[in-house]
Amino acid sequence: MSAVEQNSQLANVIRQHEIEQFYFHESGLLDDRRFDEWIDLFTDDAEYFMPIRRTMSGNDIGREFTKPGEIAFFDDDKKLLASRIKKLGTGRSWSEDPPSRTRHLITNVTVLSDDETEMEVRSNFHVYRTRLHRELDNWVGHRVDRLRRQAGSLMIAHRVIYIDQTILDSANLSVFF
Amino acid sequence: MSILDDLESTVSLSEGTVARAIYSDQEVFDAEIERIYGRSWLFLCHDSQLKEPGDFFEAVMGKDNVLVVRQKDGSVAAFLNSCTHRGNAVCRAEEGNARSFLCTYHGWSFGIDGRLKGVPGYKDLYHSDFEKSCYDLVRIAQLDNYRGFWFGTHDAAAPALHDFLGEAGRLGIDQIASRGDMEVIPGIQKFVIKCNWKFAQDNGLDWYHPQVTHASAMREGILPGPKRPSIEHMDQDELTMQDGQALEMARDAGMSGTKFPNVAVLGEYGHSIGGPTTEAHVGEYDPSWRNSDRATAELGEDRTDIAGHPAIFPNIFIAATGQLSLRIPRSPDETEFWWFSFVDKNLDERRRRSTVRAANRVFGPAGILEQDDGENWAQSTMQTYGTASRNVPVLINMGLGRGEVRNEGGLHRIDTVTNEHPQLWMYHCWQKWMMCDSWDELRSSTEPPETI
Repeated sequence: MSAVEQNSQLANVIRQHEIEQFYFHESGLLDDRRFDEWIDLFTDDAEYFMPIRRTMSGNDIGREFTKPGEIAFFDDDKKLLASRIKKLGTGRSWSEDPPSRTRHLITNVTVLSDDETEMEVRSNFHVYRTRLHRELDNWVGHRVDRLRRQAGSLMIAHRVIYIDQTILDSANLSVFF
Repeated sequence: MSILDDLESTVSLSEGTVARAIYSDQEVFDAEIERIYGRSWLFLCHDSQLKEPGDFFEAVMGKDNVLVVRQKDGSVAAFLNSCTHRGNAVCRAEEGNARSFLCTYHGWSFGIDGRLKGVPGYKDLYHSDFEKSCYDLVRIAQLDNYRGFWFGTHDAAAPALHDFLGEAGRLGIDQIASRGDMEVIPGIQKFVIKCNWKFAQDNGLDWYHPQVTHASAMREGILPGPKRPSIEHMDQDELTMQDGQALEMARDAGMSGTKFPNVAVLGEYGHSIGGPTTEAHVGEYDPSWRNSDRATAELGEDRTDIAGHPAIFPNIFIAATGQLSLRIPRSPDETEFWWFSFVDKNLDERRRRSTVRAANRVFGPAGILEQDDGENWAQSTMQTYGTASRNVPVLINMGLGRGEVRNEGGLHRIDTVTNEHPQLWMYHCWQKWMMCDSWDELRSSTEPPETI
């Protein structure tokens, strides 16, 4: 291995470490219900989208997920995300009072592309939630983020959340992914 | 003794009470599937979901899975998604396009018209002993549409769809259909709430809950949409939260109270509409369609003000956003929610986008409003299981006896303020569906009264 190749690989390892640390920090903010800090991780022009997944046969599998401009579970901009957090802070957001207990597990972090200003990153998630006495939700899927390098740190400019369930086995999605 | 032997006692129109047992009793649930879902016209899908020949959508009728399929000649057919050989599903996708339906068990294959075409070993093993046409997929008893909304019933004796819907049911569908040239936006939100379907269904008519259930969403700047002027609405009695603070219901975006003119519509077979008139409505983002010539002509000039939520019996809820929600019973305490969202196909890109966004943001599991509803229904359902708590009746008695019903061209309306008349009507009719064996008896016993 040449020195140049070695440097490049080392850069990839450092980049991988930086992204993973960013995601672990983000997960901690969500699990600790520090939503005001969590939203600061998003750029002002951020979009946050969770399409619907459909049970489709092989010949229609290209239509498995809905697209932007179609129906989705989340179709938010930063303003709406901020409204959701403001709603949680009113003390009258009953679906989160008592609050959900969540654990965000992020794995399989893979950089799909990197043009120096933005990276496209895919990761798997397992969001485990318990509520009230025995309510239990397990949401598993993957996210594709566009992470922007801004003022020396990473910011989420775009997030698409692909969930595995087609008929969502949950009364609500009152948490974040 | 089974509750089914004493259905008379389950709903009292004069007392405004409902027995809690009807929300969790397995025998009641099984009887509902037969007597209500086995007879009623049920919503299947919208015409726009079936654009090309072979386009299909899998609907649910009671416990039956039904394929609704566009035919080569442009017509629509609906049949059970069950092979006539051993019963296996012939299609496992929820929607899509098919050239044929193949049973993956033994290979019987059916055309998109449901006709049995291929049977492996038909000559060599079956010796051509039967006519294939005897084993076509089983068509549902009746299929029809009102303004592009496809309905089916398992009962060949059911009245025509037009008559079943009546003035109230048709006006309910018109609340979507008269907005323009409507099509379904791709993507049906589907999710499960551990509640009885009736709690969800009566909630659609309930305009007493928004200011409390949705108190967080109604705080300024949270719910997207136009801001309405503040209206003084009702006394707040002694509302305190767990920490002792006053609840302080949102005053600048109220939805119920004495200053909110409401119209309650009671229909035959249990259809109803409940909620504010256009004057007082804060839930409809863009009510401009109501002023169009089209709406005036289609709804009737004296009906454009009826802006509440239609609940078409048994399980359709139509929201002010122009969306249709189906509440599909799966067990006494489990209900699937399917949201169909509509848009006028002639809208420009910007207005289309804003319609889609409104649909995505308000209802559904992450919806700013609906995320707070589910737990109410689930917890209400759970409290119907207790040996002691199930003997406490559910109260639906607001304004009891004060609802003066006016018959205007076949539409039975009550002009009043926030009330529980349409919910009580729904339960009264539920009881009649459970008790009446004939359609004539059901029709006459669900004729709206002069007062409620």
